Amino acid sequence: MMGGAWRRLKSDRYGMTGLFIVIVFSMVAVCVWSGLLGQGWSDVSGNRWESVSTTHWFGTNLLGQDILQRTLFGTATAFEVGLLVTFCSTLLGTVMGALAGWYSHGWLDEVILWLKGVLDSIPFYLFAAAVAFALQGIPWAMHLAMIITFWTTTARIIRGEVMRIKQREFIEAARAIGLPSIKIIFRHVLPNTFHVLLVQASIVFVAAINTEVILSFLGLGIQDGVSWGLMLAESSQEVLAGHFGNFVAAGTSLFVLLMGFNLLADALQDALDSRRATA
Amino acid sequence: MSVPYITSRLLYGIPLMLGVTFISFLLMVHFGPDKTYELIGKNPTEEQINEVRQSLGYDQPFLLRYGNYVKELLTLDLGLSDSSGEPVSSILIKTLPISLALVLPGFVLGNLLGMALGLLAAWYRGKWLDKLVMSASVVGMSVSFLVIIISLQILLCTPYGLNLFPVRGWQVHGLGSYFYYVTVPTLALVLVTLGYNTRFYRAIMADEIERDHIRTLRAYGAGPAELLFKHVLKNSLIPVLTRIMFSVPFVVVSGSLLLESYFGIPGIGLVTFNAITSGDQPILKAVVGLTGVLFVLALTINDMLYSVVDPRVSKS
Repeated sequence: MMGGAWRRLKSDRYGMTGLFIVIVFSMVAVCVWSGLLGQGWSDVSGNRWESVSTTHWFGTNLLGQDILQRTLFGTATAFEVGLLVTFCSTLLGTVMGALAGWYSHGWLDEVILWLKGVLDSIPFYLFAAAVAFALQGIPWAMHLAMIITFWTTTARIIRGEVMRIKQREFIEAARAIGLPSIKIIFRHVLPNTFHVLLVQASIVFVAAINTEVILSFLGLGIQDGVSWGLMLAESSQEVLAGHFGNFVAAGTSLFVLLMGFNLLADALQDALDSRRATA
Repeated sequence: MSVPYITSRLLYGIPLMLGVTFISFLLMVHFGPDKTYELIGKNPTEEQINEVRQSLGYDQPFLLRYGNYVKELLTLDLGLSDSSGEPVSSILIKTLPISLALVLPGFVLGNLLGMALGLLAAWYRGKWLDKLVMSASVVGMSVSFLVIIISLQILLCTPYGLNLFPVRGWQVHGLGSYFYYVTVPTLALVLVTLGYNTRFYRAIMADEIERDHIRTLRAYGAGPAELLFKHVLKNSLIPVLTRIMFSVPFVVVSGSLLLESYFGIPGIGLVTFNAITSGDQPILKAVVGLTGVLFVLALTINDMLYSVVDPRVSKS
């Protein structure tokens, strides 16, 4: 199945463009983590609001820091937030969704659905504000808020998939030979939801990066370091005075990366669609 | 719609409301910052500390404090704001109409335009027009809300662009000034929701348009408007209603939070934003608790609407 999916993905021009964009940005992030790029993000290397030049490709900001360096460093921040939130919320959502789906209509299912209903009822930015308020001074408040709210969608999708898969004969066979439920869920049910998880994870990634920008603007986001959201927040004052460096650099990087992920997510959805895979 | 059905839906909403209020209590009252030391002077005695803690209700047991919080929400007796000293409920009543006036035009327009574009794409499914609309909606989904706001501001509100509208503020006295201040926020809201809306409506319409009865009607020469309102929308009312109900809190609360704090419009969003930055607990806990409760109420009404739209729902 995966071979066919890869072949379909390869023939999708938009999907491959998306994949290429994502790979380029993740390479930048890896270079920042390993200390090759963007290390001068906090150095004051020029005057206030210098315009574009060969030393400062995107100019400098209010404090005279190089905007290019900050943009590169922001790539790493975006991936840090995206990867952490996607990994944790997907893990949590998968486990919760699998339990709810396997024991569907039992008490465990009811409790998980109730929890999901409760978390879905609080508008997200307010919830993030509440978490940040409760965890004052803890830099992970934003990540935690996203993980707590983003797992519910993954859980809903996995619950549906598990309820569908558990009707299948090979699960009945696994039950008949006396395998314990946990083993059946993790060995035989969940691997069959991989394609759905992959698509959902790329959607969560986009949501996480997008949300970081808004939360950082509201002052609830990244506490130390620099992110595209913080740069855009800075630029909201600067553009009125005609300094567009921060806005163009952060806005464009954000747009291109989100675009890449959206194209990739769409192409993955098409390529991994089980109805097309069996056809 | 039968009485037992209504009561069963209402009963289903109660645990949700308890959960929502419990979470906001836990986050903002129980784990929230301790205000004791802001209220007392230097070198307080043990007695003074206890007195202040007592007046804040910190000495009461956990469940009693939760009960008090729920009572506050139900009676709308929400206490006084830490920063302005005004009663929270009167602040909310004063600012809510502004937020609604700010957000509703964009919300309605975003859905109507999304519906129109979705129908257009579904109608010409697979043709170049469909591809154009869908590519444009992916582009729309990839632009951050903040980037849209700043771009619109540069284009419409500064001398670097057309310079037609105010950079920020809200001095509405009549229809003219309302349009003057609401246009740019509305455009931002429409642009940020349009991509998602178009995709959603296209998916629904494309499903419906493939149905046999629609194909037959098309073959008989029924026009798009007749098909849309008489046949397609009627059959897809449930997902559309759900979508609209679920996006109300996102658009109203999140939209007003960002738009108002950016444009300096004195609605609930700006009040909340200021409460976040200044740590004004009475306002925050009221806003979070109340929106949660209102959302559960809206969901319950939504479920009841289902059974009006589709009587089969209440029978199953």
